Amino acid sequence: MSEKKVHEDQKYINGLLENNSFIIQAIYDKFVPKVVNYIKQNSGSVDEAQDVVQDTLITIYNQASQKKLTLTCPFDAYFFLLCKRKWLNELKKNANKEVTINEEVLSKGDDVQELVFETVLFGEKEALFAEMFQKLGAACKDLLRATFKIKSMEEVAASLGVSYAYARKKKSLCIGKLTALVQGSPKFNQLNS
Amino acid sequence: MEEQDYTAFEAYLTNELSQEARINFETRLKADAEFNKAFNTYKELSAFLAHTLENETPSEAFKSNLENISNTHFSKYKKQKTVFALRPWQYAVAASIVLLIGIFMFDNLSNPQFNDYNNYQTISLTVRGDDSELIKTAEIAFNTKDFNKASKALNKLIALDAENAELKLYRAIANIELNEFDKADTELEGITKGNSVFKNKAIWYLALSKLKQKDYKACKAVLKTLSEEAEDFERAQKLLSKLD
Repeated sequence: MSEKKVHEDQKYINGLLENNSFIIQAIYDKFVPKVVNYIKQNSGSVDEAQDVVQDTLITIYNQASQKKLTLTCPFDAYFFLLCKRKWLNELKKNANKEVTINEEVLSKGDDVQELVFETVLFGEKEALFAEMFQKLGAACKDLLRATFKIKSMEEVAASLGVSYAYARKKKSLCIGKLTALVQGSPKFNQLNS
Repeated sequence: MEEQDYTAFEAYLTNELSQEARINFETRLKADAEFNKAFNTYKELSAFLAHTLENETPSEAFKSNLENISNTHFSKYKKQKTVFALRPWQYAVAASIVLLIGIFMFDNLSNPQFNDYNNYQTISLTVRGDDSELIKTAEIAFNTKDFNKASKALNKLIALDAENAELKLYRAIANIELNEFDKADTELEGITKGNSVFKNKAIWYLALSKLKQKDYKACKAVLKTLSEEAEDFERAQKLLSKLD
């Protein structure tokens, strides 16, 4: 990342990370009505808008807690564009709905586009990773769950009744297996292209 | 990738490679594109797993908090939606209901009626140790608004106790209900001239009897004789103002 100036709206990202109810509430009061309007004007219902908003906030939360998410543009534009893209994707999935896409509803700064792109990519990768994790064998899943939950590898080894060296090696092989699964999926290559 | 490549990724990420191995590893990252790609994916997956598995509790807490706030926020839209979802025919129904209520209210306001006032409290005639069947019959009949039966029972009781103003009051009320206005009015006038504690009640019911007879002039005249200490004084004033 370059040395861009952090936008003052970073407080919303930090508030989400801290699970701060006041900030989350403020996001709903300030930024959500616009999203609801947009979705309603584009063949959606209030319930669908609620889901889009919630999913988008969870993706932002996940990205902020796993990677660093530095906001270099207003939260409003970033959040709205993310919700909009998510909704357009939903519409594409159920293509029987009539779509009247009203582009140019916001000014598109480069910063906004770039951040939105990163978050969308992050969200899609995350969904793919979760899907691939489910494809692992039970032994690998259990070992990985234990490894990440109990941080100490000695304890993990003891709890699984294996040696420390074996547990360590097994961990890297299980993540390796997951790596191969992810790399082998067409979706991943599409995302990385 | 080979098994040892994955163990090397892990060792590199957890900083467990010797200096020499580390330099070799980094050289290979630059030279070998496949190795580099696999390493980056491995690294991303490690971060993903760390977050989703290790962090289960904080992210669950966030999700449930988010869901609560979201539900509260969106309940506003859902309420609004029902308000604006009225169809034309529903407006017609709503308008008719308002109109009916209006007519009903107007009717009530313009014409005070006896029926607005005849919600008697349940009476209690039984005295400890002296609960004759007749008293019970009168009481139950009056409280269940069987005024015919109540009147007959009260007649018998008054025959035994001719000076009992309370029994006479209830008999008069029963007679108003039975439209026996002459009997009722004579009895009530008798009570109003006496000095019993039922004097004011008798005045009030005499007025109501006149109201039921639609003799509004007489009703007003009687109401005006009610003293200020009377329990029904306030109701009487309201009735008076409606009659004006």
